[in-house]
Amino acid sequence: MQLSGKVALVTGGRKGIGAAIVERFVLEGAKVVTCGRGARPSDMAPNIDWVQADVSCTTQISKLKDHVATHYGGLDILVNNAGVQIEKTLVDTSDDDWDILMGANAKGVFNAIRSLLPIMASGGSIINMGSVSGSAADPGLALYNASKAFVHGLTRSVAVDHGPSIRCNAICPGWIMTAMADNAFAVANNPVAAKQDALVRHPAGRFGTPADIANMALWLASNESQFVTGQLFTVDGGLTASSPLNPSLF
Amino acid sequence: MVDKKFTGHLKGRVAVVAGGCGGIGQAICRRFVNEGAHVIAADVAPMPEALQSSAQYFNHDVTREQSAQELMAFVEQQFGHLDVLVNAAGIEIEKTIEETTLDEWQRIFAINVTGTFLTSKYGVPLMRKKGAGSIINFGSYDGFIADPNLAAYCATKGAVHALTKAMACDYGKENIRVNAICPGFVATPMLESFFGDSGDIESLKQEVRDIHPLRRYGIPDDMANLVNWLAGDEARYASGALWVLDGGLTAQVQQMKL
Repeated sequence: MQLSGKVALVTGGRKGIGAAIVERFVLEGAKVVTCGRGARPSDMAPNIDWVQADVSCTTQISKLKDHVATHYGGLDILVNNAGVQIEKTLVDTSDDDWDILMGANAKGVFNAIRSLLPIMASGGSIINMGSVSGSAADPGLALYNASKAFVHGLTRSVAVDHGPSIRCNAICPGWIMTAMADNAFAVANNPVAAKQDALVRHPAGRFGTPADIANMALWLASNESQFVTGQLFTVDGGLTASSPLNPSLF
Repeated sequence: MVDKKFTGHLKGRVAVVAGGCGGIGQAICRRFVNEGAHVIAADVAPMPEALQSSAQYFNHDVTREQSAQELMAFVEQQFGHLDVLVNAAGIEIEKTIEETTLDEWQRIFAINVTGTFLTSKYGVPLMRKKGAGSIINFGSYDGFIADPNLAAYCATKGAVHALTKAMACDYGKENIRVNAICPGFVATPMLESFFGDSGDIESLKQEVRDIHPLRRYGIPDDMANLVNWLAGDEARYASGALWVLDGGLTAQVQQMKL
């Protein structure tokens, strides 16, 4: 029980990586609040506190902060997980796309930290969701890539400005098997071959799972990482340690 | 007669290119000659015919300290100082660590790392005499991320990257700049050896080209263009940096075939 007595807020905890982090934090003894744009999911465990809030909206995040302050008296762990992906090149991207994507991935992280950091206890940990795409580009994801680079930069700034009382780190996932990745393979010319090709590029021999990311989030939330701040942690099964050439070619 | 593309910005400069007879080294020598430099191609390999009338040759084994001393004694006697040193000698061993013998490991480190150390060690005093200098080492994107079956090579290039920064720190105050170029795929005999000689080499090469954002791999002149810039005064504020030159290859996350 590494998080006994801690209060954690995980944005975007309805599904995928966010849900895995919520589940793990609860198992480790934390009181967990999570949020999303929709109503409380019907299948959500009763001990998880759901607040309907859109991270891109300053007013709604402010209300979320009031909720946390009133019901828990403060916050120990903030995980900025909420994010969206839009598969477009830069010239195809509309103003609405910008508002949706940058609203969630960039302004959302800014909003949540600005609002919640003041009620965080000394020793608190902020964990942002970056991406391997924030350091090297995935094709056709121009704004997404850029938004994750923003998260990487903001992570360092928060760590520098708000240490020593608050730590701030980012996790950079690679290919995690979520609905998002499934969709990518489903539209491939040859889904079986595409999946095999992608697997060969992972030294770990498999794709990641949301639980792999939750493991890292737990470590960054716990006291095991109390000297760790301002850094990016890549969890990608070795994907970005190897060159973009297909290793099966050689 | 100077080609229009050349500015003569290295006129009168003294440049040693270790590994100057290799694939990339030859292109660097040729460019330096065209920019007006006195060029010494220092290599164990023989001088290519094309360079014989325009550059000097010195038989230099980068792994031997005495060879570095003799090379720089020759440069001092001929010119009194040194302006530019390019450490372009290098080899590749296509093996995992289990397949690599200790002798092979020591040989690749002797050439790629110790060679850079020794030639620079005896070149720096001649740059100090001039009060300025530019050293250009050869790293590789493999010093940042790995290609399969190149373990020792990757390790040597990581070492060159760190050595580059260390040398830049130590000699910056003497106006001696140290940088490294980190090539990706460049059409050289080394690359041909990497591709091997069995199977469908042409479609393999096409696949490799296609993975590059610029849809080709580099040629030695692409490398020489950057070496040339780093060697000259336009690069006077550039030091301690690793210059990735790979047609965009490593700007990408791995490209799944979706």
